[in-house]
Amino acid sequence: MSENLKLQPIQNWLKKNNWFFYDHQLETLNQSINGHDILLIAPTGGGKTLAGFLPSLHDLINNKFPDNKLHTLYISPLKALTIDVHRNLTNPIKDQKLDIRVETRTGDTSAYKKTRQKEVPPHMLMTTPESLALLLADTQAKEYFKFLRYLIIDEIHSLVNSKRGDLLSLNLSRLNNISPNCKRIGLSATIKNKKSTLNFLSQKKKSKIINIREKSSPKIEILETENRVPWSGHMAGYAITDIYKKIKLSSMTILFVNTRAQAELVFNKLWQENENNLKIAIHHGSLQKEIRRKVENLMSLGELDCVVATSSLDLGIDWGKVDLVVQIGSPKGIARFLQRIGRSNHRFDEPSEALLVPSNRFEYLECISTIASIKANLLDEVKDKEGSLDVLAQHILGVACSNPFQIDDFFLEIKKAWPFRNLKKQTFLDVLEFVRNGGYSLKHYEQYAKIGINKNNFYAIKNKNIRNRYRLNVGTIVESYMLKVKLGNRTLGQVEEWFIEGLNEGDTFLFSGRVLEYQSITNNNIIVKSTNSTHPKIPSYAGGRLPLTSELSFQVRKLISKKEYWKQFPNQISDWLKLQNKFSGLPSVEELLVETFPRHIKNKKRYFLICYTFEGRNANQTLGFLISKKMQRMGYKPISFVATDYALAIWSMIEVEDINIILNEDIMLDDLYEWLEETPLLKKNFRDAAIISGLIERTIPGRKKTGKQVMFSSDLIFNVLKKHEPNHILLQVARNDSYRGLIDLDRLGDFLKRIKNNIIHKRLDRISPLAVPLVLEINRQTIDKSEVDEYFLEELENELLTEVGLN
Amino acid sequence: MKTIKFCNHGLQICKEGILFWLEKEIAIVSDLHLEKGSSYASSGQYIPPYDSEETLLKLLDVINNYKVSKVILLGDTFHDKNAFLRMTPKVRFLFEDFTKKYEVIFILGNHENKIKIEGIKFYQEYIVDNIHFLHEAIQKNINQISGHFHPVASIKVSSKKIISKCLIHSNNHIILPSFGEFTGGLNINDPVLKSFISEDANIYFLTKKSIYKFSNKDIESQY
Repeated sequence: MSENLKLQPIQNWLKKNNWFFYDHQLETLNQSINGHDILLIAPTGGGKTLAGFLPSLHDLINNKFPDNKLHTLYISPLKALTIDVHRNLTNPIKDQKLDIRVETRTGDTSAYKKTRQKEVPPHMLMTTPESLALLLADTQAKEYFKFLRYLIIDEIHSLVNSKRGDLLSLNLSRLNNISPNCKRIGLSATIKNKKSTLNFLSQKKKSKIINIREKSSPKIEILETENRVPWSGHMAGYAITDIYKKIKLSSMTILFVNTRAQAELVFNKLWQENENNLKIAIHHGSLQKEIRRKVENLMSLGELDCVVATSSLDLGIDWGKVDLVVQIGSPKGIARFLQRIGRSNHRFDEPSEALLVPSNRFEYLECISTIASIKANLLDEVKDKEGSLDVLAQHILGVACSNPFQIDDFFLEIKKAWPFRNLKKQTFLDVLEFVRNGGYSLKHYEQYAKIGINKNNFYAIKNKNIRNRYRLNVGTIVESYMLKVKLGNRTLGQVEEWFIEGLNEGDTFLFSGRVLEYQSITNNNIIVKSTNSTHPKIPSYAGGRLPLTSELSFQVRKLISKKEYWKQFPNQISDWLKLQNKFSGLPSVEELLVETFPRHIKNKKRYFLICYTFEGRNANQTLGFLISKKMQRMGYKPISFVATDYALAIWSMIEVEDINIILNEDIMLDDLYEWLEETPLLKKNFRDAAIISGLIERTIPGRKKTGKQVMFSSDLIFNVLKKHEPNHILLQVARNDSYRGLIDLDRLGDFLKRIKNNIIHKRLDRISPLAVPLVLEINRQTIDKSEVDEYFLEELENELLTEVGLN
Repeated sequence: MKTIKFCNHGLQICKEGILFWLEKEIAIVSDLHLEKGSSYASSGQYIPPYDSEETLLKLLDVINNYKVSKVILLGDTFHDKNAFLRMTPKVRFLFEDFTKKYEVIFILGNHENKIKIEGIKFYQEYIVDNIHFLHEAIQKNINQISGHFHPVASIKVSSKKIISKCLIHSNNHIILPSFGEFTGGLNINDPVLKSFISEDANIYFLTKKSIYKFSNKDIESQY
């Protein structure tokens, strides 16, 4: 350790625990002392968090700092992480009796504590991007952050290139004006976009990337089983017994799943197996926060044998005692899986261990590809995104709540936020007018403008009420409307409104690890009772399903294309592929296989068309919309389609003869714009943008709209704007989000080029082995709703008329 | 258009939700809620101000095709008492065009409490041939045509739920759907609305393309 560093207390504490500094921790400290902003990229378990705090601790230990002023701000994407880091940092501080006060501040912090924190700030505050936005919207913000010396952003890779990141970057730029001498440290997992992540953190000349590679590559295996791997589904029921055996052998296991519904089911199944009474817990985002905190606590104390978790435990938290990570279902992306594996074990210098459990046959292929990609050090690429204008709108109001601003200064500040570096002045002015009064240049709207302009051309909110309402609407995450699940007086957690709509009184569902019977809705609470039922109707949630990355899907195509690769598969998988090859065919890496066959659904003959694209769910979904649109126009009456990561299945009332007419590159790209304008996806993105930008409010004091009402009115606004202002800011946002997010346009474009003259059409008389998983897939996507409704209504009306003998 | 037999008269409903009594050259429409969009500005929600224009254009577009001389508006024509003052010149022009071209009867709706507009008279009720035109249905055995509730129905078909505006015909009652561009709806299963719907009532389900007739029993049996 260098002579000039004085870290005695921390060193004492490390020594006591038989620990020592890693080189990169000291390098981070040295570079920071030299005045650099630093992006530290290191695998999990590498002591990243301590590295982030070292410069700040060093400063507090050795230099004078005014008492009751904020010295260090720590920002993390997860509330749970702020709590965990708080706990980890408190240990050495208490042990060495340092006079450093550390506190957390999130949406869960009590109002009392928040007020006290404002009056008497701690030295170190750990918070989330949303809570930071709220702090900065306070009239006292400048005073509060004036003395800030260090800013640490944890898991920064999960924030860049998202709307949350846009909001954070705008506030970072604001902080830069308030406390220009504050040093920044970003902590990131292994990523591909290093340079842009550094720019996001800091645009100072003195900024640096410290990149630490994993010393040993992780050990990953696919679960070996005697049981049959199912054709489809995501629940991996076949593997539960084998998984349970593994849990018994380890001291603590984290079992990752991809959706909350999976978590509930796997948890339930494990308890059915649990003859040894192992302590198995569940953790996901819908559960009540007290329940989640309790599980996290037990984990850190090492008192659990296993936790079934979704991405709610993905990030950053170091659970020292975890020695096995199990991933059920494909992780769908390389970086994401590495992050999850990192939860295990871990000393930085020992390899992580993980077990992959594919939940169906296609996933088996994916799991093999994932392991190959990790061995080859391949990483998924994320495309850099421009700052979103709905987030800018929210920020403008926030700043106006804090302090009056002048246009030119404020515009410069915004341009310094990395995602908004290309923002045009005119666009900024348009967004500003939109926030002020809707941007309609109507006297009536100006009369009720939120932001007024004073004599000296300063912009400021017109009254306090606007600030109060801003506080309720801050944030960029728009979730479905949630209802509380109540068992007696206990709140178990929340579920989306639409889920309950599908339930009738007496229906049962799995939640919080129990089978519950639905009774009624009272005052926005779902009243349930316990039941002994063993066949619950499982909740399935909107969130959590991520598409296969293009890197992985290429690997899967490669695996399928050549028989010699199949040797590494278990027999049941290779037999399946052999059978498919005999019955229909398998495509080469460049080809597209299309199958058509008839099939009955509820006694009605339907014609299936299946395209095995392997291009990921989003691209397939877009393709599904486009093809069905085309089929509609050509009179084939498509009814519905299913898009998975691997393929697209469309069924129609009339058979499609010539595939080449439907899968034609040019015609499809012509349709795209027109199609996008009609998709439910655009409407959904518009609704989110309307809420984020503040056009529609989440909640109004004393009154709560139901989720449905919000949905309804945003659709109406959408229709009217499309006609009268087709280039409205919010429509632009919704289009951009749609293109970038769920549509995966680029990928689709590449795909269409690739398959030109490369389509193999197999006309079959019945379903092929490869198609079985798709047809079983329950996730049906609706085609242009009003169109299909018409067919069904025609059918229903005819049926009813026949029934009463009129037809 | 579908024909509804009501008190020995043949009335016709179009898919847009306008009821025609063509032998009398009358068109009946309800709940335009003009200037609903701009009404939110005072609460700081700047909803686009284009709904009145859309509503009036759609109305004129349909009734101009029929031989109509009188239009009965069943109340809540204006979203609030100041709505008329907020109309943009373009909307004002459309509105005047409409009132000049047709004899317009304004029934007073609950949204129009204390409303005063020069040259417009609001009626509590209007009677033609023993049929009472009201804003809100009343529990009284008279022939009545009203609006107010913005009825919508949801129908489950092949496990899909389809929701649309609808017209209710129950004995000597007709309840019209709302016509305004920015109006929402109340499900016909809501207890308030249900009390006006007899078991053998007919529900005319209005979609973008057509009108579908169901009996109330068909819809109820789905729940």
